[in-house]
Amino acid sequence: MTEPATVHDPSDYRPTPGYHDEVYLPDGSPRDYARPMAEELERMGPEQLAAAGRRRDAIFMQQGITFDATGEDGPVKDRPFPLDLVPRIMPGEEWTHIKRGLAQRIRALNHFVDDVYHGREIVHAGIVPWNLIVSRSHFARAVHGIRPPGGVYTHVAGCDLVRDEEGWKVLEDNVRTPSGISYVLENRVAMTRLVPSLFQSYRVRPVDHYPQLLLAALRAVAPSTDDEATVVVWTPGPLNSAYFEHAFLARQMGVELVEASDLVVRDDVLYMRTTSGLRRVHSVYRRLDDDYVDPLEFRPESLLGVPGLVRAYRAGTVAVANAFGTGVADDKAIYHYVPEMVKFYLGEEPILDNVKTYLLSDPEQLEYVLPRLDQLVIKPTSESGGKGVFIGPSTPADELEALAEVLKVEPQKWIAQEVVKLSTVPTSDLDGTVAARHVDLRPFAVFGETIKIVPGGLTRVAMREGSMIVNSSQGGGSKDTWVLEDGEDSDRAEPPDVVRQELPALPDMRYGGWSDQEQQQQQTSTERGRAHACPHRA
Amino acid sequence: MNFQITFTTGYEYDSVVTDNLNALRVRPATTSSQRVDDFHVRIDPETRLHRHTDYFGTEVIEFGIPKPHESMTIDVRARVVTTQSPYPDEASWEAIGAPAYAEAAGEFLMPTGTEPPDALLEEFDQMARATSPLATLLLLCELIPDRFEYKPGTTYVGSTVEDLIRGGAGVCQDFVHLALILLRRQGIAARYVSGYLWAAPQDGGSDSVEVDTHAWLEALLPASGGRGEPVWVGADPTNRILATESHVKIGHGRFYADVPPVKGVYRGGAEAKLAAAVSMTRLDPTTSARA
Repeated sequence: MTEPATVHDPSDYRPTPGYHDEVYLPDGSPRDYARPMAEELERMGPEQLAAAGRRRDAIFMQQGITFDATGEDGPVKDRPFPLDLVPRIMPGEEWTHIKRGLAQRIRALNHFVDDVYHGREIVHAGIVPWNLIVSRSHFARAVHGIRPPGGVYTHVAGCDLVRDEEGWKVLEDNVRTPSGISYVLENRVAMTRLVPSLFQSYRVRPVDHYPQLLLAALRAVAPSTDDEATVVVWTPGPLNSAYFEHAFLARQMGVELVEASDLVVRDDVLYMRTTSGLRRVHSVYRRLDDDYVDPLEFRPESLLGVPGLVRAYRAGTVAVANAFGTGVADDKAIYHYVPEMVKFYLGEEPILDNVKTYLLSDPEQLEYVLPRLDQLVIKPTSESGGKGVFIGPSTPADELEALAEVLKVEPQKWIAQEVVKLSTVPTSDLDGTVAARHVDLRPFAVFGETIKIVPGGLTRVAMREGSMIVNSSQGGGSKDTWVLEDGEDSDRAEPPDVVRQELPALPDMRYGGWSDQEQQQQQTSTERGRAHACPHRA
Repeated sequence: MNFQITFTTGYEYDSVVTDNLNALRVRPATTSSQRVDDFHVRIDPETRLHRHTDYFGTEVIEFGIPKPHESMTIDVRARVVTTQSPYPDEASWEAIGAPAYAEAAGEFLMPTGTEPPDALLEEFDQMARATSPLATLLLLCELIPDRFEYKPGTTYVGSTVEDLIRGGAGVCQDFVHLALILLRRQGIAARYVSGYLWAAPQDGGSDSVEVDTHAWLEALLPASGGRGEPVWVGADPTNRILATESHVKIGHGRFYADVPPVKGVYRGGAEAKLAAAVSMTRLDPTTSARA
């Protein structure tokens, strides 16, 4: 690993040739909208920036804003979440383009989920093959024919975007339980505290209204006539890597954070246990996969869930965000078809493009890809969070050979994508020097009555020179994303409508765990059956 | 044939349980060769029933018993009329390559992720290849009971095909799971069928016999000469026969877990004792089966 060629004076910063730098032009001069920040960074110098970084680590550790990662020596627990103190700045006009493109894409994905579990029109139209859909691991037979309250499935979406020299593209969709929004909010708070001078020349659109947007959406889809629908956040528990975020969102929305043992279905209604008895729940923001939500309908060996929840959902007495079965839409093999979905369901041209993708289930595309593994990114179709991804150019030849064998055996479980030349943003090193690092962007959209997207989103940054791996679980960091108040539309916060729910605390007593009903094996003895010779073969 | 079916399942728990939630797939299906005249489910302790039709078209009856209890009984009664399906046409292997065949086959041709390693199946692939899809189906109905011993107790409800092959013995559920995989490997779409099987009493006297729920399969066979729709044909590898009018179908799926007769969970750590009995009575003993 060579030491990054950092520059000690930001004015000496040079973008990497061939990559779009979002702050500096190829000649080293800042773009107009970024000039005030570049000048302020220069004024501060590396020492001030490094000192602010040390204060940041202390604050994050103290507040428990940490994450677990896989380091070179194995798992690393509880590291402070690495917020880079150099913000990413986006002109309002650029954001408007992204926002429209995302809203369009999410509407199309929502249509697709509805279609998959109902009329399958996109299949009958010959656009997406049915065999591909039913073979996705997140295709949920249990929710076939169920239309959730409001017809909304993808209440929270966190699609990953990238920017290269051609512009913005969608790298992957995420409409199951995308995480990271708490970092967006915490990052903004930390930035105003640690480097207030950077904000001096800017009007940055706020992000702190996200919990209100989410709560409003969860209430909008709740099957309840009064305004006081009971909303809960369902977490798998403190051992989950995103538990901090679950607790954060529940606290910010003023709703109860619950685990499976706090919930019970009676008849076809979901209730929460409280010290004063059962209380009906109208809307659940669940932060765990379909597999674990209801042992009667999904993975039977999982006794972590709430038995009967799918029954309540089917009866329409509870809204679940995101709806069950949405994972079929963010599967990486389905991703390929999203631009087609936009045309088919909305009759519009896609505003945001896909990255060039090869479906390996197609023998022709597989044949094209196999000799080019060293130039492509290979991804398993059903994973998320960068798991199981091979980046061809940085993968040893013997691993690629082994991968090729796997692809030949199960091509339908993989896709290949062209390597995207991720844009760069100046990023601070430990000593406060600044160098170009690659970034992506995960904006967070909330779909209740309409689709609302918080300005910006989570910018993830690869902390090593040249690296394109931005996942926080693999050493990536994040940046505060500033959408400037200079466009025509504005994303001001909705007027606060948070009415804190006054709830009795949950009882300390946890109920006993669940047991599996013994199933009867299907068996009929041959002896008895033998009495029946086949009439046709006698 | 005309049957009265009584399916009683009793659970005795060794301590108190609550929130006993269950999903039943026990109602005989309505098909071109089967009609349901009467169907009732009664639960003790008494509770409200919820019904819906699942993805594969099977009626599901769900209920929950919230109050503490130490035993539960599920009592199912049905009157069913069945008729014998016509003997399937013989069609060539080429016919399964037709687009109409793939369309009708849908996901019942696809691997389900429950397949054992290829190496365990290769010996069967060779043996199962017969002169036509129908011949392969009939051959498998002999091959599997020849090769494996029918022996209750060697496998359990969650056993895999790999368990069957390695253990050399199993029950109808296991035989069907293996047959399904082998059929799909030959390009023949196949699905698991759960149901009731009437067995004529050995003494020839009474027409009421104790049976169990049974498993067989349906294979999609092309129409002969490539004309007409492919047809799902029932076959029972446990009994070496094609399905008869003694087979009363409940529903089908990719495998057992798509159509379990009773599936449930309850709160509390109690052990349960399960007693299940199916009794089938022929209501038309004097009528000829081939009438």
